[in-house]
Amino acid sequence: MTARPAVVSYQGNYAGSVSRFAAYAIDLTVSSAVFALALAAISYGVHIVTGHDVSWNRSSPVVVVLYVLWQFFYFGYSWAVSGRTFGMATLGIRVVRADGLVLEPRQGIVRALVFPLSFLLFGLGFLGILVQREHRALHDLIAGTAVIYSWDARAAHLRFLARQAELTPPP
Amino acid sequence: MEAIAQQVTERVVDLLVSALDVNELAARIDLNALLDRVDINRILKQVDLNALLDQVDVNAVLAQVDLKPLLDRVDVNDLVSQVDMDALVERTDLGAVIARSSGGMGTEALDALRSQAVGLDQFVDRWVQRLLRRKEPAPLAPPALLPAQAQP
Repeated sequence: MTARPAVVSYQGNYAGSVSRFAAYAIDLTVSSAVFALALAAISYGVHIVTGHDVSWNRSSPVVVVLYVLWQFFYFGYSWAVSGRTFGMATLGIRVVRADGLVLEPRQGIVRALVFPLSFLLFGLGFLGILVQREHRALHDLIAGTAVIYSWDARAAHLRFLARQAELTPPP
Repeated sequence: MEAIAQQVTERVVDLLVSALDVNELAARIDLNALLDRVDINRILKQVDLNALLDQVDVNAVLAQVDLKPLLDRVDVNDLVSQVDMDALVERTDLGAVIARSSGGMGTEALDALRSQAVGLDQFVDRWVQRLLRRKEPAPLAPPALLPAQAQP
């Protein structure tokens, strides 16, 4: 057996823009789908109980407020409890404190509260993910957080080799 | 007459040997000079090592070896660090064990998705650094996570 340098693991490194954007796209899709399902379930329930049909208008202030509250709950609760949303778990990234320690629940909630600020000025707040040295967006800087890779690339590489070895017929 | 001479000679030799200090005599012998004159290779050529080893009870020898102090001197971490895990997984049944025990299609898809995303992250980051003409490398991880990383 020969010594070879270990395959680089990115675990703990600052996560890049593509991973973060993909995670957010998944979260937006999932949270919007769950919200739409919830509205449909409410409509169905009201119809069963009262016999009246309820239709939801997307531009209705009630729906907009409910959607914003739901989004805040979805992101805020996920970050406060585990430091990651469903999309972030899928992409293997996690929110931590700026110094790298585990996120405090309060910081998770603050991050969710200031998150919309990054959308202001044509989304300039997100530019930090690209150009800031620690890939921190405006809401990260305000909440004192950072996003890191939390999956083990080394383990994934070994799993890949294992699958290859299983597929290769023995000599 | 001859018998008498024989008896006298034997008696003299006995007296001489008993009077000699053999240890002192041995101490005067230069063993190194003596061994220099011995052709050890020639002797070894004549020795049938296989036959010699056949007579050795290796189990009995090993039973007398105290392995603990021997193992205490072995740096296991250094030993393990020299193991090429990639080759081990590729060439042994260990790969199949890992593949069976570490999930199926879901894990495979996640590994692929995450690897692709990391590759694109790095590609984008390289171009941004180039456009911004940054020469100093950016920190790879938050301070608390840097020492925990085997490789940055």
